[in-house]
Amino acid sequence: MAPLRRKPKTIAGQEPLTIEVGDGAAIPRRKDVGMFTAWRVAFFGAIAMVLYLIFFTPDPYRNIIAFVPDGIWVTFKVTVGAILLALVIGLFAGLGRLATNRVINGIASLYVEVIRGIPLLVQLFYIYYALGRIVNIPAITSAIIAMAVCYGAYMGEIFRAGIQSISKGQMEAARSLGMNKTQAMIHVILPQAVTVILPPIGNEFVALLKDSSLVSILAVADLLRRGREFASETFTYFETYTMVALIYLIMTLFFSKLISIMEERIRAGK
Amino acid sequence: MVLTCQACCVLSQGQKVYVFAGTINPGKKISSKEGGAMKISRFCLVFLAVLVALCVVTLISSDTFAQAKKVRKVVVATDATWPPMEMVDASKKIVGFDIDFMNAVAKEAGFQVEYRNTAWDGIFGGLEAKKYDAIISSVTITEERQKKYDFSEPYVNVGQILVIPKAAKNVKALADLKGKKVGAQIGTTGSFEIKKVAGVELKTYDEIGLAFEDMAAGRIDGVVCDEPTAAHFALQRAEYKAKFSIAGQPFTEESYGVVVQKGDKELVDLLNREFAQPRQRRSMSS
Repeated sequence: MAPLRRKPKTIAGQEPLTIEVGDGAAIPRRKDVGMFTAWRVAFFGAIAMVLYLIFFTPDPYRNIIAFVPDGIWVTFKVTVGAILLALVIGLFAGLGRLATNRVINGIASLYVEVIRGIPLLVQLFYIYYALGRIVNIPAITSAIIAMAVCYGAYMGEIFRAGIQSISKGQMEAARSLGMNKTQAMIHVILPQAVTVILPPIGNEFVALLKDSSLVSILAVADLLRRGREFASETFTYFETYTMVALIYLIMTLFFSKLISIMEERIRAGK
Repeated sequence: MVLTCQACCVLSQGQKVYVFAGTINPGKKISSKEGGAMKISRFCLVFLAVLVALCVVTLISSDTFAQAKKVRKVVVATDATWPPMEMVDASKKIVGFDIDFMNAVAKEAGFQVEYRNTAWDGIFGGLEAKKYDAIISSVTITEERQKKYDFSEPYVNVGQILVIPKAAKNVKALADLKGKKVGAQIGTTGSFEIKKVAGVELKTYDEIGLAFEDMAAGRIDGVVCDEPTAAHFALQRAEYKAKFSIAGQPFTEESYGVVVQKGDKELVDLLNREFAQPRQRRSMSS
């Protein structure tokens, strides 16, 4: 009991406080008045600006907006596909990181460590062209797999933290009711962990939406690629990237609002 | 003796004569005192050194200024991913036909060239932003491009050609690839040609090499690019020779030109004057 080596202050027996800055868009929570207002200004401002540009400067803005919609759809498909696959990979990675079996634990930890140490852009190139040598799958599927493999590692850490946040007593109680470990995990631990995990997953979704612009290097015709194609043909670089930036902004702000609403619901349901 | 020589030098450069005069006077004063001989000589030595340094600096700087005025430096952008016209060799140097051509022109016309390796889909934007003076990068002279930029006279004639996997049967032209995907580099005339054919899906790549790699992986059914580049990938590259073949003949007639900023008449005239010279005068190395 050396008095100098006191444990860090904890709040009600929880982990010590840490600073968390997500890589997604800032989530506009009601208690953060500044961000809440900023969200409104940015969201409605961006929409107003897009409308203004389309109606008052139809050349080239109306041509741009007519050119990119299939790109928006591809961006959306890649994002949703990658997040769903990443959830599956993340669940197994998270459980693997908590496994007592040393081999499984080792593999899961190695996966997380290796993936988190390689830039996403490099991974995309690597997985896309490496997959291309082995199996013949469409570009968009390869892009989704590459994004999911990367985000799976981050998801794994979210799942691990979420599961660990459920007190040990829950597992012990479930076991004493006669459940085995798997049953306890599925019926008792995971349903409780979901409420803890959902907000950071929402954050990852917005981050992934933004990072999905990287797949444009893989000849996947997403929003950025369509914009680049338009710009390189008409030489309207400034106008095109203004429009592309505004569309991305509207999309990320829209989804971050959805996430803040979801967070509120979860909190109200507790 | 040395001192007078330095004085001449300084005077001839017309620089700070008063500094020199100021150094002589205290020297004389000190020399009149006894036992100061050693000190004087040291003192003089230091000043001599300073004077020599001044002279050298002025001479060198005046020399380089004169050179800079004589030789104009032209910064040229190129997307060195388009063999054999422009590419990066094993020692990271930008090489190729366009580079040799430009170097030969520069040598004759008496200007210096500095190359900037620039991604193709931003290469015109960079010219507009005045990041460089010209582009030599297998740029086809098109009406659309001429509206925004100025071109030199054409220096090479080429055509677009279709490259297909060897296994593909009965493919003679783009029209035979309806319902299939065909790749090209983003913003190239090859990609514009694919777009013109209804029913063929265009896939654009940052570099033409990535398109060929994707065709090798079976994700696309054809690649359209300039004939020399197609020949390089389909006929010369060891890893692709067995996999690809060229379908039919070139189906467009295009000419490469050097691109300059709109209204840069000086540079265009400089280039055109050199282009008009008889061919054999130009010494194209390698």
